[in-house]
Amino acid sequence: MEQLLQHLVNGLVLGGTYALLGIGLTLIFGLMNVVNFAHGEFYTLGAYAAFAALGLAGLDFTLALLGAIAAGALGGALCEVSLLRPLRHESIDTTMLVMIGLWIAMQNGELLVWGGVAKSIPHPFPTAPLVLGPVSLAPLRLFVLVVAAALIAASYLLIQRTKLGRAMRATFQDAETSALMGVPIERIHTATFAFGSALAAAAGALLGPIFLAYPSMGDLASLKAFSVVILGGLGNVPGATLGGLLLGVAEELGAGYVSSGYRDAVGFLIIIVVLVLRPAGIFARAERIG
Amino acid sequence: MPDAGVLLALEDLHASYGHVQALRGLDLVVRVGELVCLIGANGAGKTSTLRAISGLLRAARGRIVFDGAPIHGAAPAAILRAGIAHCPEGRRVFPYLTVRENLEMGAYVRRDRREVEDDLERVSTHFPVLTERRRQTAGTLSGGEQQMLAIARALMSRPRLILFDEPSLGLAPALVETTFGIIADIRRRGTTVLMVEQNAYLALRMADRAYVMETGRIVLEGPARALLDDDHVRRAYLGA
Repeated sequence: MEQLLQHLVNGLVLGGTYALLGIGLTLIFGLMNVVNFAHGEFYTLGAYAAFAALGLAGLDFTLALLGAIAAGALGGALCEVSLLRPLRHESIDTTMLVMIGLWIAMQNGELLVWGGVAKSIPHPFPTAPLVLGPVSLAPLRLFVLVVAAALIAASYLLIQRTKLGRAMRATFQDAETSALMGVPIERIHTATFAFGSALAAAAGALLGPIFLAYPSMGDLASLKAFSVVILGGLGNVPGATLGGLLLGVAEELGAGYVSSGYRDAVGFLIIIVVLVLRPAGIFARAERIG
Repeated sequence: MPDAGVLLALEDLHASYGHVQALRGLDLVVRVGELVCLIGANGAGKTSTLRAISGLLRAARGRIVFDGAPIHGAAPAAILRAGIAHCPEGRRVFPYLTVRENLEMGAYVRRDRREVEDDLERVSTHFPVLTERRRQTAGTLSGGEQQMLAIARALMSRPRLILFDEPSLGLAPALVETTFGIIADIRRRGTTVLMVEQNAYLALRMADRAYVMETGRIVLEGPARALLDDDHVRRAYLGA
């Protein structure tokens, strides 16, 4: 029982960042219809941006995080304008191939810049865990959980409550009618992709100090993000949030009670079950936003 | 100098979709305060005309002048800001947005937030059913309610000219009457209307003037009452 609580808490920490990855991808894949295999590379970008800010420039964690988010948003905007905008009316397969190309290019770019050796990202938090009854939690992990929750809440507010969010949802439901309402469609595409990429980068900057930063770290992140999107249903932001938390907890439980070697397998097992039983996503009933 | 009172003028307008020529030298005028209707068979270019006015379809040749200023080539947002709203065919409400959000989308280009709030309130007096359903997603509304929403949404930009594309399409007869009543009301309150309509009889009965379109150009124009009695119109569009 004590172990269960501990696993649940660890699962939430992991799941919070999966949710960030998933929300980012559900906007790009679910709403914009771009099968973004490079999503994980923005996660990697975030981790390296955090490494540069914390390890090289010696900034504090908050600034590093903001820097990583900005790097993700900027990289995403650049990629949308230069690669996706010219292909706006091409098929989903065409943009998917381009995103696979970007994935390979970015990953090799990271290898070139940072080398193949994994970097440990320094962080300012004490290593002694906080103990609360049966649960112990490293301050860094608590910070990750809190920041992830705050970013999820902020994303939700942006999408549901702001004029920009409303225009995003409208654009991906009916672009032509949105244009008739005066929405600058091209800018909305860029903003949405930048936003999704910034969330991936935030996840990378948050998990980077817990694990390590290395060029291929984005591969698994992409797969996890796709899993979360499938769990939650395409374009479903609350679904991606719950899906992310569920995947994180399931992995922790799998690692804890079965074998840590099966950590990643558990997640994919769930995906297979979901695809067989509820192919529209576990939360298909919940309203999609676009 | 433009003709006094002319709000919108299309001059020798040409436009095409790829190789298909939709508009082949269209001339049309709408004066301030008028209700003008555009009738014609399917594929005559009525919808293309409205799409060209609101900037969705680029004119290949010719001019579109609104309130003395050329607007052909301008982006839809600029045309909307200039004062032309377009209520598209098939209603096209945003199905996953709530009724209120749909209305807010109609006011997207406006910066006067307080007055937008007032207008949102005002919608409820004209369209009480929309107030009851303002938290529902638009996709859950009936066809008639969606039409009310589409009209109310177009009004949210406070247009001086409003384009209606087939407002009666797919509505039950009683709702068609209601819809035309609302459009007549909008005109009475001072908004100029250009309407494309398949139900030529109803359209001609309520319009001031009408244009008949065939294969991308105007073949006949005149006071709507006169067209109701025109032999060609009666044979081709009124089934007489």
